[in-house]
Amino acid sequence: MVNTLAPVTTGRVAHGAAVDGRSRTRRRRQAVVAYLFLAPALLFFALFLILPLGFALLLSMSRWAGFDLGDIDPVGLDNFTGLFADGSTFLAPILTNTLLFALGTVALALAGSVLVATCIDKLRFQGLWRTLYFLPIVTTVVAVGNVWKYMYEPGGLVNGVLNALGLGSVAFLQDPDTALPSVVVVQAWASVGSAILILTAGLKSVPESYYEAAALDGAGPVTVFWKITLPLLRPSLLFVCITQFLTGLQSFALIIVMTKGGPGDATDVAALEMYRQAFSYGDWGTASAAAFVLFVVVLGVTLVQLWIFRRKGEDA
Amino acid sequence: MTPSRRTRTPNGGLSRRHFALSLPSALLASGCAAPHQGTGRPGDPIVLTLLSHYASGEAKAALQGPVDAWNATHERVKVRTKAVEFTDLLTTFMVRQAAGQGADILHPYCLWNGQLVQAGVLRPAPSEHAEEITRGYGEAAVAASSVGGKVYGYPTEVQTYALYCNRRLLREAGIDGPPRTWPELEETAQRTARRDRYGNTLVQGFGLSTYDDSTTVGQTLALLNAAGGRFVSADGRRTAIDSPAGRAVFDLEHRLVVNGASAPGVNVYKAFPSGQVAMVVSAGWWTGSLKALMGKDYRDVGVAPVPVPGADDKRATLSTGFMLGVNAASEYPREAWEFLRWLNAEKVRVKSAAKGATATRMSSLQVSVGSMTGRADDMRTLLGKGSDPNLRPFLDALAYAVPEPNVPGAQQAKSLLRKNIEALWTGQQSVDDALRTTRRQVDQEVSRSW
Repeated sequence: MVNTLAPVTTGRVAHGAAVDGRSRTRRRRQAVVAYLFLAPALLFFALFLILPLGFALLLSMSRWAGFDLGDIDPVGLDNFTGLFADGSTFLAPILTNTLLFALGTVALALAGSVLVATCIDKLRFQGLWRTLYFLPIVTTVVAVGNVWKYMYEPGGLVNGVLNALGLGSVAFLQDPDTALPSVVVVQAWASVGSAILILTAGLKSVPESYYEAAALDGAGPVTVFWKITLPLLRPSLLFVCITQFLTGLQSFALIIVMTKGGPGDATDVAALEMYRQAFSYGDWGTASAAAFVLFVVVLGVTLVQLWIFRRKGEDA
Repeated sequence: MTPSRRTRTPNGGLSRRHFALSLPSALLASGCAAPHQGTGRPGDPIVLTLLSHYASGEAKAALQGPVDAWNATHERVKVRTKAVEFTDLLTTFMVRQAAGQGADILHPYCLWNGQLVQAGVLRPAPSEHAEEITRGYGEAAVAASSVGGKVYGYPTEVQTYALYCNRRLLREAGIDGPPRTWPELEETAQRTARRDRYGNTLVQGFGLSTYDDSTTVGQTLALLNAAGGRFVSADGRRTAIDSPAGRAVFDLEHRLVVNGASAPGVNVYKAFPSGQVAMVVSAGWWTGSLKALMGKDYRDVGVAPVPVPGADDKRATLSTGFMLGVNAASEYPREAWEFLRWLNAEKVRVKSAAKGATATRMSSLQVSVGSMTGRADDMRTLLGKGSDPNLRPFLDALAYAVPEPNVPGAQQAKSLLRKNIEALWTGQQSVDDALRTTRRQVDQEVSRSW
């Protein structure tokens, strides 16, 4: 048996140094192998994230029409100041619409999905219900947008129902006051399926014993929902809240299908404006600057959400 | 450490820092390989690429016909067509150009010409071609294909705007014929409009629609031109819509909406063929679609010139169009221009017309798909006896139409105008506000583009 506490002789030092050297070499070799295994992922990351991000940052401080890479003309912060200059529509209504769109979507989708998930949790054939509510997720945005557009039209289904109830028609997508809320409803409807899936999984993780104890204490269903279900769903709610908000802030496909940002500026959002600036107007500098402003907004909103939920003792 | 030792590794390879710097450049350069121009072997033919929006249906086949004929008769220069949907056309120009893959021959919407010229994408037409174009085409078509007085390509399809009427709806309202002046237009619109008790539009008297650029901006600019106004100033550097003519157009449209004669929420492209719109200003290409959609009801459709404010006013309307130009990056501009001259300027016999009648290949192509070119003589030959009489007002309009502005930033100016027109129609803005906001926003953006 080797006494590891005994004084080390010179020979042992030499032996130890050799062992250390071999160990270091082995570790270095292992690191090289690890990096080799990681290389495809890192290359992918660099190619499709770092490179475009750096290019976008360069463009946000340049003027470029999108045709010739040699024509990139540095302009400093002009594109950013242009976005917030007097008379620019970026801050209001575009950025305001973006935030309202995201907030409205999250509020509606969250409320709807909590309600539906709680109901599904008490029903038979839960898989069937979850599948039914998940169907909009597997439908393309173009199809969803067009179907809802027809339903909202002056002679469409929704107005037909209103007329049958003796009410006048509403120009849902043509009236600037109702256009944004009408699109928010569709976005919330389309995204409620994934939220239900996550929340039903969250509901399954709530221990049954809590409900039994509450029942013994004589708590009613409303008290049980507010005092047990909702607090214990908080991690799932946080996840749904953040992901839905991020989707809402970056969304534009549904808007381009349903309203193209109109009437006027009523449903114009940041992502749609970025698309137009770059691909229609050939102003890649402004588009990239708008993208970075949106990035800062998204980052800020996400950090605030995390902070609020962490104060309540939950992690994402 | 010497600079050389800093930049190179001991074995002479690139340092990590230089590798990191060169990687993005290499990646970008890898997408910038030269476009396919044939094999490059001596004696092999040059292959020119032509990128257009004739991506499907009869337009694609109509273009392929003359291209095949060229390829069959020309050994040294071959043409290969590439096509994308119109909505992807400008984006495709950008992406391919940035990657060094731009087509030799481009087929842009003339609205983009200022933007393309400013970005150095289009090559000015050589003098002999510029003369040929100026001589052979109408003034509006030449102006649409020119930027800053220089001609950049052969005009292809040209669309003029006129007033479509549903004669049955006009008859039912006790009106004999299409209106000639704005007061007549307003009266006809009021008399033909009908709504149900819930406020749903049954018949729109005058079709104002927020559906697309054509139904908002195209229609408004046609009326503006008819009133003697212009959207941008002659030098193209500022908007001219905040004028008496602009105010008159915005006032007219505002009155039509407020009085219930127009319902901007209705899609006129669906409603007119269904007999739910009495009148609408639109471009000539629509006649072909209406014929297919309406069947025998098409006999109720009539076309008249865009009404003018007063009976003595001079006629004017809007024209829009496309052109075929040569890429500044093309290695074979001479061959590309020669092909364009063959396609657009060389006259060939027209089988269906009277004996000895000739027209350019492009004119025959456009008429075969229900469109027109800016060559009035060709159009008269091709739209002879037996053709749809509804096309005649569009042909006549070639003589007095005003081209859509194509200054740098024109696309953005058009979008801004559309937003403000929609804001006016939906009551978000008054006439004064809409004019003022349009002027401020368009001036700001157009000045940025120059």
